[in-house]
Amino acid sequence: MRQRLEALLERLVRASIVERIAISIAALFASILVGGVLVFVSGAFASCQTGLNVAGWTFCYNPMQVYYELFLGALGHPLEGGWSPGNHRLATTLQQTTLLIFTGLSFAVAYRAGLFNIGTQGQLVVGGLATAVTVVYASLVVPSGVVGTVVLIPLGVLAGAVAGGFFGAIPGALKAYADANEVITTIMLNFVAVGITSTLLSWQFQDPDSPNPGTRRIPEYAEIPNIPLVGFSSRANFSLLALAFAIALMIGIAWLLARTSFGYELRTSGVQPEAAAYSGVDEKRMIVTSMTLSGALGGIGGALWVLMQHGRWLESVPPLGFDGIAVSILAANNPLGIGVSALLFGVLDSGSSAIGTATAVPPELVGILSGLIILFVAMPEFFRMIGTRYVEVGSSDLVRTDGGELAEDGATADDGGERDD
Amino acid sequence: MAQNRRRFLTGAGVAGLTTLAGCVGGFGEDADTEFNVGMIYASGGLGDNSFNDMAQSGIEDAQDEFDLSYDQAEPDDEGEFDGHQRDFAEGGEYDLITCVGFAQEDALAENAPEYPDQNFMIIDTAGIEEDNVRNYVFDEPGGSFQVGHLAGLLTAEEFSAGDGETNPDEDVVGFVGGVESPLIESFEAGFTAGVEYANDDAEVISSYVGDFNDTSGGQEAALSMYQDHGADIVFHAAGATGVGVFQAAESEGRFAIGVDSDQSLEEEDYADVILASMVKRVDEAVYTAVESIVNDEFEGGETEELGLEDGGVEAVYGDTIGDEIPDEITEQVDQSRQELIDGEIEVPDDPDDV
Repeated sequence: MRQRLEALLERLVRASIVERIAISIAALFASILVGGVLVFVSGAFASCQTGLNVAGWTFCYNPMQVYYELFLGALGHPLEGGWSPGNHRLATTLQQTTLLIFTGLSFAVAYRAGLFNIGTQGQLVVGGLATAVTVVYASLVVPSGVVGTVVLIPLGVLAGAVAGGFFGAIPGALKAYADANEVITTIMLNFVAVGITSTLLSWQFQDPDSPNPGTRRIPEYAEIPNIPLVGFSSRANFSLLALAFAIALMIGIAWLLARTSFGYELRTSGVQPEAAAYSGVDEKRMIVTSMTLSGALGGIGGALWVLMQHGRWLESVPPLGFDGIAVSILAANNPLGIGVSALLFGVLDSGSSAIGTATAVPPELVGILSGLIILFVAMPEFFRMIGTRYVEVGSSDLVRTDGGELAEDGATADDGGERDD
Repeated sequence: MAQNRRRFLTGAGVAGLTTLAGCVGGFGEDADTEFNVGMIYASGGLGDNSFNDMAQSGIEDAQDEFDLSYDQAEPDDEGEFDGHQRDFAEGGEYDLITCVGFAQEDALAENAPEYPDQNFMIIDTAGIEEDNVRNYVFDEPGGSFQVGHLAGLLTAEEFSAGDGETNPDEDVVGFVGGVESPLIESFEAGFTAGVEYANDDAEVISSYVGDFNDTSGGQEAALSMYQDHGADIVFHAAGATGVGVFQAAESEGRFAIGVDSDQSLEEEDYADVILASMVKRVDEAVYTAVESIVNDEFEGGETEELGLEDGGVEAVYGDTIGDEIPDEITEQVDQSRQELIDGEIEVPDDPDDV
């Protein structure tokens, strides 16, 4: 039994990239099957007007319809008439995708340096407020119109990155110079972030005309603009420019990690800190730098949340930072994979609300379905990560089979062994 | 062999997809009805046995009466209101979209002009002056004054009923609010004014938990009022957070006053400590709005105020222990109700003005 398990684990660890994608897709279908049964059976315990009567039971929920809404509803029902690519469901999906790319990258960068940054949420909260406040006050002196757009948006993103980066540097410095475990400090700093921002809000920045806790609105020209004609309607709170920025940043981070000496040092510090130190990497500085970079990415996520989605900072920030952890893990912390897994999360988010409006399935059950999908898709990768500890990975043979020729895949292979510490 | 397998897979795949397409319709869809209403609840969500559930019971009453179906959304936080409002408005398939709670005002103020043909109603705010929005507000200060009057009279008495008893040594009552906002503060203002009207010596301690969905926060706030300040009656205006107030009252053997619905019925476990509830007929507002849609009489751009006179707000005595409240007290409360209706008593809506 044990031997067979070990053989299975070893096969999983040595799976090629194609096999891994196939496994993920199979896992997706398995989760739909399990979730579908769950929805169907739950329907027997609900009451409804039109149900399916089988042997005295009335089944209220149609699993086919639920998954149809979850996946195609998130795209705005492309198979039905009157579909246009600019529809607002698809906009919501891509809006969430865009934001999750930043938070996913934030977690991935720290993870590749061997650090668990659970504090992306806090960095996003702080960065978002910094963005909103900076833009609101800067708009008093910057001329409006196109000049305002060109000046204020980069300024806002920069403010978010600086504030988030600073907030990420704190646990980095604590880890480097005081040996404080970054998992603990980043979790605690999330609460600190919420406390600080809500205090600042009620002290100075609350919009007096609004019943909701939040800052003043930024001027309309400071919101990220849509591309005319091809873009989405201005109501949609989504801009293709923002998505393009996210993707560019994603590719930039992948390049940074795979092709630069800084990226090499960062990855080496993650895999084998002693080796990195021996080869001349300043360990403490690397911890602070990578945490700062990670925090800045989270802060940019907050900036985009403000500049694209709401046009103001709201005190109730959705858990984008925490979702980013799942996004990154699902992508095996590979920057390029994060785009795909962020899209999956975006679909699940927007599809969930499509289910809510189209069917009577309660939101709690929809949450379980999304959870099942994430769990099933992530589990093989998770076992693979565990498996790399037990299966001999020392041979260079593995790196070749696992990684293939591409540099970023080579990077993927590295994270296999990095949990040594 | 491999070819066979491939052929089988293709065949099975095609068959599967066809069945899939066929099954997407069928059961589980909304029934075909003449009218369709979208409900967007406040962030406490359904199951609060209070504000949101009242709104839902209003739409259920309407469903019993009219050829109507409804869809609902339960946003987790304030940022989601905007998206849900647009979700419902975008398809144009809803005759009315009901926005429950003042926190939706910001989002609706933006969305209403974007969808001029869509009828909206919003509860608890008078701030939207669009032609397609009907605002419903309640006289919370008046209703809270009523339960405040009751609390102020009872705290001075030696009174026990059900699982609770008053603390005759001290004339202290408490108020637990959800989020500190003008609306919830108007509950506090009315309550405090009512207590002072009844009893000049009585003291009101108030506390805001900062959340409508934090039961343990509500419990802590109320426990400290009962234990540290000797309070004997606590009124809450805090949605699901208020359940914690009831838990604290139960464990301390004191009283609590519910809000929005008759909570001695909704929260049966605590009926032994719920003296009364400041009922706010949110269901009535939803029902009336739907009725006006059905009768084609919907008038947007206006604010409808529901007060003591029409039963829009009222003090409803607890189902279990309400009968034990002495008659001379209920008579005085009835009298102040009349005086409020007649305008003989002015109730402030800001706690600072009490």
